[in-house]
Amino acid sequence: MLFFRSEADLNAWLQAKGYTHGATLTVSQLWGLSQRWYHNRMNVKFHGRTLEQVGEIFREVGLVSDFWQ
Amino acid sequence: MIELPEQTLWDIRAFVYHHFGDTIHAPSLDETAVRFALTRDEAASAYDALHHRHAFFLKPGTHEILIANPFSNIDTTFRVHANGKTYFANCAWDSLGIPAALHVDADVEAVCSQSGEPVTLQIRDGRVSGSDVRIHFLIPFKHWYDDLVFT
Repeated sequence: MLFFRSEADLNAWLQAKGYTHGATLTVSQLWGLSQRWYHNRMNVKFHGRTLEQVGEIFREVGLVSDFWQ
Repeated sequence: MIELPEQTLWDIRAFVYHHFGDTIHAPSLDETAVRFALTRDEAASAYDALHHRHAFFLKPGTHEILIANPFSNIDTTFRVHANGKTYFANCAWDSLGIPAALHVDADVEAVCSQSGEPVTLQIRDGRVSGSDVRIHFLIPFKHWYDDLVFT
């Protein structure tokens, strides 16, 4: 997961690497995802999460395309 | 592989994470062995078990912790200034994951992967601001753990 200053920078990077576009998030979306994904990571009771829980987090921040399945 | 009690494994996971939080680095195998009064072989088995459960990830062929998301045990271009320390994140996502995990204000210092231009983000009181950037995820979710370092 990488930062790009513009869409043109992202497209140039994809072309140079020969990769196809994956999914692009805004900073706000990424922060929402980070808060939900990592808020309890330091807790001794955190033992990972189920696929259902992962899906719920993705849905909460609007990540619903096939990329996130 | 030496089997250890489940609770010991999860206590070791928490110890590793708090060691990162306190020092920016993972504990060595010897530090973990001493902390839990284990032999080196027992600590190595615990590390292997937690690696296989994706609790953290070892450098291949070693018992050195490489990644405990969002923390990186090696220097990266994703720097997170918080708590008077500079943490290293594994990727753009993890650079916001560190303040989210530690529940602290932070300054993220990174670069655009194409232009090399600086990217700076600030986390204050649970809100993010800073550079106008987009974050690209290359690998679909179902393949994230095929090759975590590449992901």
